[in-house]
Amino acid sequence: MTFVVTENCIRCKYTDCVEVCPVDCFYEGENMLVINPDECIDCGVCEPECPAEAILPDTDPEAQKWLDLNAKYAALWPVITEKIDALPDAEDWNGVEGKLEQLSEKAA
Amino acid sequence: MNVMTRPEELEACAPAGTFVERVTEVTHYTDRLFHFHMTRPSGFRFRSGEFVMIGLMIGGKPVFRAYSIASPSWSEDLEFFSIKVPDGPLTSHLQKIQPGDAVLMRKKATGTLVNDALVPGKRLYMFSTGTGIAPFASVIRDPETYDKFDELILTHSCREVAELKYGQDLVASIRDDEMLNEFFDTSKLKLYNSVTREDYPYRGRITDLIDKGKLFDDLGVPPLDPAIDRAMICGSAAMLKDTKALLEKAGLMEGANNRPAEFVIERAFAG
Repeated sequence: MTFVVTENCIRCKYTDCVEVCPVDCFYEGENMLVINPDECIDCGVCEPECPAEAILPDTDPEAQKWLDLNAKYAALWPVITEKIDALPDAEDWNGVEGKLEQLSEKAA
Repeated sequence: MNVMTRPEELEACAPAGTFVERVTEVTHYTDRLFHFHMTRPSGFRFRSGEFVMIGLMIGGKPVFRAYSIASPSWSEDLEFFSIKVPDGPLTSHLQKIQPGDAVLMRKKATGTLVNDALVPGKRLYMFSTGTGIAPFASVIRDPETYDKFDELILTHSCREVAELKYGQDLVASIRDDEMLNEFFDTSKLKLYNSVTREDYPYRGRITDLIDKGKLFDDLGVPPLDPAIDRAMICGSAAMLKDTKALLEKAGLMEGANNRPAEFVIERAFAG
C-alpha cells in the first residue's frame, strides 16, 4: 500500500506534502514530485495537504497508472525533505488537463 | 539478528535525519503491550497527538515503524506505547529494550489527531482500541484541549481487562496531578472502557456500543450531534472504517490539517 502523486502536480509542485511526510519519501523532478512506493508508509497525512489534490491512495482506480511513474522517477530524482516555493505559475496550471505531456524527466 | 542498542555505537552509524535517544523507563503491561519513556532531543517540536518514526538498527539496517507520541507537547521526555508481535520486524526487538539503551527517531513528527484539524465544538470524543490510546494520552494532557472543549470523552476498548490498565492509570494520574489541575479542569475528562473477550461491566466493540446508543446512555450524554460533537479515532483498520461510517451517518465530516472539520482519523496506526 502506498500513496501516489498524479498528473495535477505537473507544473505546480506546491510541496505542502513534503512538509508533513514522516518518512521523507518524496522525490523532486524539475516540474513534478513523486512518492517512492517502497518508502511510503501509507499514513495518508499528505493527501489532504495537496492544494492540487494530486495525491491518491493506490486503492483508487485512477492511481494505478501513476504507480509505475512514481516508482520510476523516485529512483532517478533526488529526495526532497523540506517545503519550497511552488512553481511560479502553479496557480495557472492547477486543474489544467492533459499535463502529462508537459512532464519533465529532468531531476530538480 | 544483531540489534544495536548501545548509544555510542548507534550514534556512530545512525542514518541521516535521525536522532539517537536514550530509553529512560520501560513498563510491561501484558505479554502483548508495553510502554516506554525516552529522552527528548533539544529542538524537537511536535503537536500533541502527532506520530513519529521510531526504529532500531537490526542486522545493520534501520527498521522504523510509526509511533504516536503519548506524552503532551510540553513534556520534557517522550513516551510511547507499543504492541509486542512475536515475529514483528521491529517490535520483536523493541520489546527487549532496557533503560540506558538507545533507539532511533526520525526528525519529523506529523499526524491528523490534533486540535488544529477540528473545528470548535463542545464535546470531544477520542475513540481508541488497543495501543490506539497513545495519541490521546498526549491530547488529554494538553491545556489547549481543555480550552477548546467543555467535555472530553476518551473511550478505550480492548480484548482483555489487563490491557485497559495503562489508560486507567493515566487518567487517574491526571486527575490527581496538582500541577495539571492548576492549568486545566481535569474533571472535564471521562474515561469509558469496554472489553470484548472477558467479563467486564461494559462489554463489546465500541462501534456496536455507538450504533446501539449504549455508549451515550452509559455516559448520560445525548446522541452524536454534528453541531457540538467532535471526534478523533485511532485503532485497528476495521475499527477506523466502521467508526468513520457511524460518525458520517450522524452527520459529522472528516477533517484534516488544512481543512478542519468535525472528526479526524489516524491512518498511520497499525496494531
